[in-house]
Amino acid sequence: MKEKLEQIKQFGIKQIEEAKTIEELTEVRKELTGKKSGLAEIMKTMGSLTPEERKEIGMQTTEIKNVFATKLDEKEEELISNKSVLDEPIDLTLPGTKTSKGVLHPLTQMYYDLNDAFASLGFEVFSEDDISSEKYAFDNLNFAPDHPARQMMDTYWIEGTEDKKANERLCLRPHLTGASVRYLLKHGAPARFVYPGQVYRNEDVDSGHERAFYQYEALIVDKNISFSSGIVMIQTILEKVFGRKINIRMREGFFPFVEPGYEIDMECLVCNGKGCKVCKHNGWLEIMPGGVIHPNVLKSAGLDPEEWTGFYINIGLERLAMMRYGIDDVRLFRSADLRFLEQFK
Amino acid sequence: MRVSLKWLKKYVELPNDLTPKQIAYDLTLRTVEVEDVIDVKEKYNNIVVGKILEVKQHPNADKLRICIVDIGEEEPVQIVCGGSNLYVGEHVVVSKPGAYVVWHGEGEPVKIEKTKMRGESSYGMICGAEEVYLDAFYPAKSETEIVDLEGKGTPGQNISELVCMDDTVFEIDNKSLTNRPDLWGHYGIARELSVIYDLPLKELPKYEIDKNLPKYNVEIKDTEKCRRYVGVEIENVNIKESPMWMKADLLNAGMRPINLIVDITNYVMLAVGQPLHAFDRTHVEGNQIIVRNAKPSEKLLLLDDQEVQLTENDLVICDTEGPLALAGIKGGKKDSILDTTTGVLLEIANFSAPTIRQSEKLFDEKTDSSIRYEKNIDTERVDLGLSMALNMISEMFENSKIVAYGEVYPVKTEREVIDIPQEFLDIRLGKVLEQNTIEKILKALGYDVEYKNNIYHVTVPVWRSTGDVSLKDDVMGDIARILSYQSFEPKPLPVKFEHAVIQPKVLLERRLKEYLAFRCGFTEIYTYPWIDVKYINAARMDTTNSVRLATPPAPELANLRTSLIPGLLETVSKNLRYYNSFKIYEVAQVFEKGEYHESSEDETLPIHKKYLSGCIVDKDAKKIFYEIKGVIEGMNTYCHMENITLEQMEKPSWADINAYLSIKLNDEEIGTMGLVSVATMADAKIKRTNVAIFELNLDKLIPLASRTNKYENIPVLPLVEKDLSVIVDNNVTWETISSTINGKVKELEFIEEYKGEQIPEGKKSITFRFKLGNDETTLTSEQINEEMNRLVKLLNKKCEAYLREE
Repeated sequence: MKEKLEQIKQFGIKQIEEAKTIEELTEVRKELTGKKSGLAEIMKTMGSLTPEERKEIGMQTTEIKNVFATKLDEKEEELISNKSVLDEPIDLTLPGTKTSKGVLHPLTQMYYDLNDAFASLGFEVFSEDDISSEKYAFDNLNFAPDHPARQMMDTYWIEGTEDKKANERLCLRPHLTGASVRYLLKHGAPARFVYPGQVYRNEDVDSGHERAFYQYEALIVDKNISFSSGIVMIQTILEKVFGRKINIRMREGFFPFVEPGYEIDMECLVCNGKGCKVCKHNGWLEIMPGGVIHPNVLKSAGLDPEEWTGFYINIGLERLAMMRYGIDDVRLFRSADLRFLEQFK
Repeated sequence: MRVSLKWLKKYVELPNDLTPKQIAYDLTLRTVEVEDVIDVKEKYNNIVVGKILEVKQHPNADKLRICIVDIGEEEPVQIVCGGSNLYVGEHVVVSKPGAYVVWHGEGEPVKIEKTKMRGESSYGMICGAEEVYLDAFYPAKSETEIVDLEGKGTPGQNISELVCMDDTVFEIDNKSLTNRPDLWGHYGIARELSVIYDLPLKELPKYEIDKNLPKYNVEIKDTEKCRRYVGVEIENVNIKESPMWMKADLLNAGMRPINLIVDITNYVMLAVGQPLHAFDRTHVEGNQIIVRNAKPSEKLLLLDDQEVQLTENDLVICDTEGPLALAGIKGGKKDSILDTTTGVLLEIANFSAPTIRQSEKLFDEKTDSSIRYEKNIDTERVDLGLSMALNMISEMFENSKIVAYGEVYPVKTEREVIDIPQEFLDIRLGKVLEQNTIEKILKALGYDVEYKNNIYHVTVPVWRSTGDVSLKDDVMGDIARILSYQSFEPKPLPVKFEHAVIQPKVLLERRLKEYLAFRCGFTEIYTYPWIDVKYINAARMDTTNSVRLATPPAPELANLRTSLIPGLLETVSKNLRYYNSFKIYEVAQVFEKGEYHESSEDETLPIHKKYLSGCIVDKDAKKIFYEIKGVIEGMNTYCHMENITLEQMEKPSWADINAYLSIKLNDEEIGTMGLVSVATMADAKIKRTNVAIFELNLDKLIPLASRTNKYENIPVLPLVEKDLSVIVDNNVTWETISSTINGKVKELEFIEEYKGEQIPEGKKSITFRFKLGNDETTLTSEQINEEMNRLVKLLNKKCEAYLREE
C-alpha cells in the first residue's frame, strides 16, 4: 500500500511537471485530485485497514494531496506567466506607429516659449498690424526727421504714399517699437507687455540677411523703476531660450527711442567666452538692443515723462533660433521648405 | 572709423601697461563699439634696416648682384638682389626669412625663406617700397629701384619704427558713433579715455590771429545752412611731401597722404573732427567767397571730371564766377590744389546737418567731410580746427604768411542748460551716488556743474549741445555709462499682481495653431507678404484691391497678399519636388485697400485681417476633401470657440466646380474650403496630385469664455449598438438621411458610402451606426427588431431608401 502511494506520488509529480499548457494542467489536476484519481481509489479501500494502518496511510495520502496542490499551483503560476497575447514572437525592432507629424514653425515655438516665461512675470501679449505709418514707425519714436531709415531704400513704403509725410506715409513696419506707443495710447500706464511680430526691411538677401524677420519686443512702464530692472527681462529671454543662465553685459548703444540705450551682449556659447571665430575672438555676441524708454516716446504715448519711465528690450528671433539650433542660413525660416521645418518636431 | 593709439597718446598719457585690448574693452562698454584691434607692426615683422657693405656682380646672371649686408646680426649676410640702385654704404630694407612680402606689389603676401638664386645663397631679400608697404613713404621712381633709406636707421632696426608705423589701430563701428559728432576725431576719443581712466586731457594750443590783417571777403546767403565761415588766405606754401610721422598717422587713420597742404586739412579733421578745405587761391576769382544755394541750371565739375547737376537745395561755395565746391562734401576741379600751388585759401566752416544730408543724395558714397557734418557739428569747433591748422602750417611751411582773414559767424551753437534733481538720479540709477562722484564724471566730460538745493544745475559742453544731450535722461545716461552699466546690480521688477494675464483671443490663436500642428498633422509655414503675381492669377484672384509696395523686392512681387492661398499654392508647388503628400498651414495678416484707424483718427491704414489658411496635398481628392472638412468640424470642440458651420454658398475663384463650401459663423461667411480647381493647379504648376484648401478670417472667431462641455448622466441600462446599410438614389444626401432619424436614435454616426458591383446603377449604399435603448427597460430582441423596421420604413417614406441585402 505504501509503495503504491509512493508510486502515485512520483507519477503525479512527473505528470504535473510535464504539463505544457494550462489546458493540459487542468486535465492533470482532474486526474490527480478527481474522484477517479489513484488517491481516491486508495481512500475507498481504507475501510479494510487496521486503525494503525489507517492512521498511517491517512497521513501519507494527506501529505501527497498537499504536495500535489502545491505543485499544481506552482505549475499553473509558471504556465500563466509564460503565456503571451501574441500567437508568435514579433520583431521588436520594427518602428512604432507614427503619431501626427505636424509641427509649429521654429520661430512660433520660440515666441510661445518666451510668451509663457513673460506671462509668469505678468506681461500681456500684444500685436500691432503689419502696415504702419511714418508717424508711428518713426516720428513717435524720436527718429530724426532725416534719419536714413526713413529713406526709400531702407523701408518698404506703400505705393501711392511714399512721397507723403508722417501719418499719411505708410509702410510695412520696419520694427516693432511703434506698437509700444499704440499699446500705451490704448491701455495707458502702468503697463507690461510683449509684442512679437514680423518686421520688414528693404535689404539685399543672403545667408545672414533677410527682408522679413521676426522680432520680439518687451516693454515695462511704471513709476520709479531703475534701468537695472531691465536686466531681469534680458535674463528671462536668454534662460528660457538656452535653458540655463547666460552671462550678459550691457554696454553703451544709441537708438533714438531710448535714453540711455544699450547694446546687450551675451557670452559666446561656442567658446564659453574664451574667444572664437563665431564671436570674432572677443568672447561676446551682440544679441539685442535695449534701454530706458525715451521721454519723447512717452510723450507721444500721452504719458508724462516726469511720472513714468520704462525699459525696452528687443531681440531678433531668427538670430536666437540660429544660435539655439546651429542654423547657418536665415533664409530657411521663410523658405516654407518642409525638409527644414520638419526638423523642429 | 580708424583710430590710432599713438595719436591718442598725444592728447592723453595712457600708461604703458594698459593693453590695447583693455582699452578696446573699456571703450566698447562705455563709449563706442570697437570692432577690431589691429597691430600695425605685425605686417613689418622681420623687415629690418640693412647696410650694404659690399656689392659684387653675380657670376651667373647679368642683372643680379650679390650684396653683403649688415642686418644687425653677429655676421653680415649675403643677399642676391636685382635692384638698379645698389651701392656700398646704402641703407636698405631687408626682409629676413620669415617676413611676408608682396612680390612686385601684386597679389597675396608671400613668406620669405632662405634660398639660392642661380647658385648663390641669399638670406632674405632687399625690397622695393611696394613690396613691404612703404610706397607712401618712399615712392619708387622706377620699377627696379629698391628703397634707399638715405642713411637713416641702424642695421637690424625694425622698419616700422623708422616709418613710425609701430602703432595699434582701433577699428570703431561707425553706427555706434551716429549720435556723437564729438567723437569723430582723435581728440574726442582721447577725452573719453581721460574720463574712463581718470587722466588729464591735454589742451590744444591756440593760434592767435593778427587782428590787423586785411579782410578776406566772405558772404553767407543762407545762414540756416551755413552757420559760420572762416576763410584764411595764406601764401608761400609751396607743395611738398609730409613728414614721416604724419604720413603714418594718416595711413593708420585710413587716409592716403597726398601733399602737405591736403594732408594738414585731413590731419586736422581726423584730430578734432572739424572738416577743412583748401582752395588754390589763384583759382578763386575776385578774391571773394559767397556761400549760397545753387541755381536750378548750375553744374559743378568735380576733381574726377564727373559733372554734377545741382539743385536749388544744394549749398555751394562760390567765387564771383560761380560754384567752386559743394559745401561740406566735395571740392570742384577748378579749385584744386596742384603741384604748382603756392598759395591757398583755407576754409573752416560750419554747415548744418540737413543741408549736408540733402546734397549727399547726389552721390552714392559719403565723404570723410560729409559723414562728419551730417552728425551736426557745433560752431565752436571751427576754432579748434583753425588753431590746429594754422599752427601746423606756420611750423611746417617756414616762409608761409597769412595775408588775409575773413569770418562770418551768424549762428552760434548755444550750450544746453539742464536741471537734474538728485532724487531723479537716485531712482533711475537704482543706486545713490555721492555728489562728488557725479560732479567729477560730469566735469571731466566737459559739463559745468553747480549743486544747490538737491539739484544739479548743469551746462552741457558745446560739443554735445547739437542734439546729443538735451534732457536730464541724457545726463543720467552719461553718468551710468562712465561708471559702466556692469557696475549696477540687477534689480527685480516691481511686483503688482492685480489680475492674472487672461487673453482669450491670444489663446484661441495658439489653440488653433496647436490643434492643426499636433492633432491634425499640419506643418506651420511662414511666407512673405508680397506675392508673386503668377500665383495670384493662378488662384483667379484680382489685384484691384491689393495694397502695393512702392519699391518691391522684384517687379512681380509688388502686390501684398489679400489672401494666404496664392502663397500656399506656391509653397505646394515648391515642396512637390520632395514630397507627395503633406499638410501645411499659415497664420498671417492680409491687406486690402480701405480705411481703418488703428490708433488715432489722423492715421488711415488699409484694411488688415488675420487669416488662417491650410491645405492637404494628396492624390486622392475625395479623401482629402473629407479630411479637411473634418479638420474644420473639429475646430469648434478642440479650440473652444463659438460654432462655425459649413454650407454651400458662392464658389471661391480657385475652387473645383463640385467641391466647395463656405465657412460660416452666426450667418456670416468667414471663410471657404474646397478642392483646388484643375485650372488653378495647372497655372500654379501643381501636377499629378490634388489639393484641398481652407481659409478663414481668424479675427472673426469668438473664443468661449470658458469650456462648454456638458455632462450627461451615464446610462444606467446598456444601450444596443446597431449598424444599418440602406440603398438610396445618388442624389439623396447624408443630411436628408440623418435629419430623418436623428432624435429617434442615439449617437448616430456615418460609417461609409459605397457604390459598386452589388449596388444598382444610379444608387448608393449608406452605412451608419447608432444606439438604441432607454433608462426604463432593457430592450428585448423583439423590441429592437421592431425599432429597426420602423426606422427603415421611415427612411423609405422620406427618401425612398430600402435595406441593403447582405
